[in-house]
Amino acid sequence: MSLQNVILKLQEYWADNGCYIASGYDGEVGAGTMTPDTFFRVLGKKSWKVAYWQPSRRPDDGRYAENPNRVQKHNQFQVILKPIPKNGQALYLRSLQYLGVDIRSHDIKFDEDNWASPSLGAWGVGWQVMCDGLEITQFTYFQQAGGIDLEPNSLEITYGVERLAAFLDAKLSIYELEWGGNTSYSDLKTEEEKQFSIYNFEVADVEFLRKIYLMYQEEAKRLAEANLYLPAFDYVLKCSHTFNILDARKAISVAERNLFMANMRNLSGTIARKYVKDVDKQEES
Amino acid sequence: MSDFLFELGVEEVPVSEIKSVMEQLKGKFQAKLKEIPVEFKGLETAATNRRFMIYIGSIDEKGSDIEEQVKGPGKTIAFDPEGEPTLALLKFIELHQVKLEDLIEIKTPKGLYVGLARKLEGKKTVDILKAIIPQILKELTFSKTMVWNKSRVPFVRPIKNLLALFDNRVIDFEFAGTKSSNQTRGHALLSENFIKVSSFKEYCELLYRNFVIISEDERKKKIVDEIVEVEEEFSIHIKPDNKILENYIYSNEYPVLFSGEFDSRYLELPAEIISTFMINEKKLLPVFDKDNKLANLFIGISNIPDENKHVVSGNERVIQATFEDARFFWEQDRKDDFFSLRESLKNVVFHEGLGTYYEKTERLVVLVDYLAKETHNQTLADDLMQAALHCKNDLVTRMVREFPSLQGIMGGLYIKETGQAEETWKAVYWHYEPKGVTEVRLEHTGGGLLSLADKIDSIVGFLHRGVQISSSRDPYGIRRDAAGIIKILKDFKLDIDISPLIDLAISQYLASTLHKTDKAREELKDKVGDLFVSRIENIFKESLHFRYDIVNAVLGTTRTLPIYILYLKAFEISRIVKSDSLRHLVALHKRLKNIIKEAPTTEVIPEYFVDKEETILYDIFKQTLLKVEILISDFQYLDACTEILEMKPMIDNFFEKVLVMAEDPKLRENRLALLQSLDRLLLTVADFSLIIE
Repeated sequence: MSLQNVILKLQEYWADNGCYIASGYDGEVGAGTMTPDTFFRVLGKKSWKVAYWQPSRRPDDGRYAENPNRVQKHNQFQVILKPIPKNGQALYLRSLQYLGVDIRSHDIKFDEDNWASPSLGAWGVGWQVMCDGLEITQFTYFQQAGGIDLEPNSLEITYGVERLAAFLDAKLSIYELEWGGNTSYSDLKTEEEKQFSIYNFEVADVEFLRKIYLMYQEEAKRLAEANLYLPAFDYVLKCSHTFNILDARKAISVAERNLFMANMRNLSGTIARKYVKDVDKQEES
Repeated sequence: MSDFLFELGVEEVPVSEIKSVMEQLKGKFQAKLKEIPVEFKGLETAATNRRFMIYIGSIDEKGSDIEEQVKGPGKTIAFDPEGEPTLALLKFIELHQVKLEDLIEIKTPKGLYVGLARKLEGKKTVDILKAIIPQILKELTFSKTMVWNKSRVPFVRPIKNLLALFDNRVIDFEFAGTKSSNQTRGHALLSENFIKVSSFKEYCELLYRNFVIISEDERKKKIVDEIVEVEEEFSIHIKPDNKILENYIYSNEYPVLFSGEFDSRYLELPAEIISTFMINEKKLLPVFDKDNKLANLFIGISNIPDENKHVVSGNERVIQATFEDARFFWEQDRKDDFFSLRESLKNVVFHEGLGTYYEKTERLVVLVDYLAKETHNQTLADDLMQAALHCKNDLVTRMVREFPSLQGIMGGLYIKETGQAEETWKAVYWHYEPKGVTEVRLEHTGGGLLSLADKIDSIVGFLHRGVQISSSRDPYGIRRDAAGIIKILKDFKLDIDISPLIDLAISQYLASTLHKTDKAREELKDKVGDLFVSRIENIFKESLHFRYDIVNAVLGTTRTLPIYILYLKAFEISRIVKSDSLRHLVALHKRLKNIIKEAPTTEVIPEYFVDKEETILYDIFKQTLLKVEILISDFQYLDACTEILEMKPMIDNFFEKVLVMAEDPKLRENRLALLQSLDRLLLTVADFSLIIE
């Protein structure tokens, strides 16, 4: 199955199950979890069901296009179900069946993996879903975001699109995949992976990145103080991506890392509280 | 008699939690039923990562009747001087609707009371269970909890079903938003929907038909049998450790072995890396050929039969990608000069308040230098100091950041690549071992000494920081480190006293802080000493199975810690348990202690002897002392005991003929001094008076 078909099928399946199909976020994020459609919407009381395809950047995972399934930019398919449905696992397994997986002939396991994003003050309890040894999904019951206890809780299902497609197609490497429309993954991605791996590991300008990190941080603070929490969050995400490049570049010491993390966590905490205050007010009126 | 079946059905619980949850459930059911009490026989349990089952095959239909006494007024208040009931007593009678003649006297420590005895009829067991099951579930503790529904009840994972049958009828209750029922679930993939059961027999049968092997033993047997089968078929060896076996047993309700292969070019990677990536990353087991060399094969345990070979081919693809990752780390790390990584350790904190790993390695250099000399391994000193300097460099490599369990091993392998002396890289390679007293024996002396230095430095540091430890809480593995040290000293037969080593380790911390008063030093020294004494006691008794009184005898009241020698003594004395010679030694030592008691220590003055028996004893004592000293320096403890017992006739004669507690204080003190010398001589082996024959 082509990669685009995996995405289309998942959109279809989750739309049929009552989700709003959103567009992915239009800036660099490390995961679907970090986008406003998840970060903000899991806060507060209001029900929320969303599914979207989210390209995600992990500079440290770059492998110069030489690793069969690790890349610095991969595609996630993100689903948020709030409140948590009773049959979350079954819904998920049915989505695999919808993609054509015969679940009776594959070793599908829910392996403990508690997800946490220290920079967003977010964490949850759950599993990585392994299919014949390949991690294809992260399945998480959200407990906190922005340092705030969630009530109701949300279920987050994050599919790794490349891995899922490679599994469905029994391909050794994601570079052997078809994206669709006669276009191969290798054509689309090989050069991108090579160049970004060189950039992330070797030539990213550390001084420049440190400078813009601080500028982004200042801007995020300023906007948060002005109660413009949505644009403020954009700048936190820019901080996060800049930090990730610096980290891949090995430019950050252990002590510094904690400082960076604490800064981002405080900012996203402030932003989350402002959002909650705002939606609580809206619900009252 | 009735029966009771309970199953807590959950979404996949982490394997590391399963035993604890099962034990808690079992313990709480037993305790609560006994407390009420309800009579029952035979309580069976079974668990997988999706269910916890309790079955009681024979349980009373009702709780036992209880005799109860109700205390009324004191006897003096209950009756007036004429012996007539007072108002207070009449009120008591009215309240409890009894007659005067039904009352009894109740004796209490506070005096006599009037009261009544009555029988409380036991409640129906089904009602008792209805009340206690939710309580038990609420009391369960987990290392991490979550909430998932409106009940907001914290639990390990969402609850799917609460099957509770008493004599095949549902016990009605609710917990965490889930109602009890007669339903269970079959296999996660091979069975759909809930399954109704009406008896334990049906429960077992339906689970089996729905691909759930409920018994742990049966699952284990299936796995082990299938491993043996492939071993025989392909003449290979597979070495599953308990941790991975446990994972296989609890995370598969229907375990099936599969085996596959990978491209042999990955065998160019160090075997340690291959094994770690397979086991930790993919829960696959490495396979060894008949020459015990790593083969390009693997096995794993799947939760379903792999009839279409999907599971094997999937895992074969995955393992290749995993090895590509391993190769990436291995190649990237070797692009850096491994020795210059030491500088980056200045940024890596060892522990808050205890400085960086850079500083730790500086302390380790001093400690290994000392240890090399003390253990007569001077030739190793230079290589060991080099190893100590660089043993933590691998903490900043990609490989170890990704796989902390490879620490030490990777450092060793990276140093090996640079062509350093074998002693250096092997010492680094092994320096985290052994991780406890039951671990396999460490073979490399340099590794043992570096490990010893590293562990003593950590123990002293953590205790210096005031870290508290107990049998249930030891966040930094202090007890495990102490056990590791004991094991190293024993395995390498290092007859050193570790007290000066502790001193040296302490002075390295205290020299660099403001609190270097002698008091702080002494306190810390006591803390470390106490830790070792309690570890020695525990390990000698529990792991080495020495008798507790023998352990007490060799430990005596010593404040030095020649651990290997203590071990040898305990071992030797254990060999003569129940022999005449041990009986004589014990009797002799007890007799000496009885007479000496608290007498002040004095020296023998031969001129003060009057009786010939005391002179004879003193003469033979002097000869024996010399012989015993030589034997002990040669670790010949049993021969030393034999030598001491040679004096037995002279000692017996002495006690028979000589009055120790003579009137003349000069004579008395001198005789006591002679007995004190004998006591000290025995103590060079052990305090035999503590042995219980």
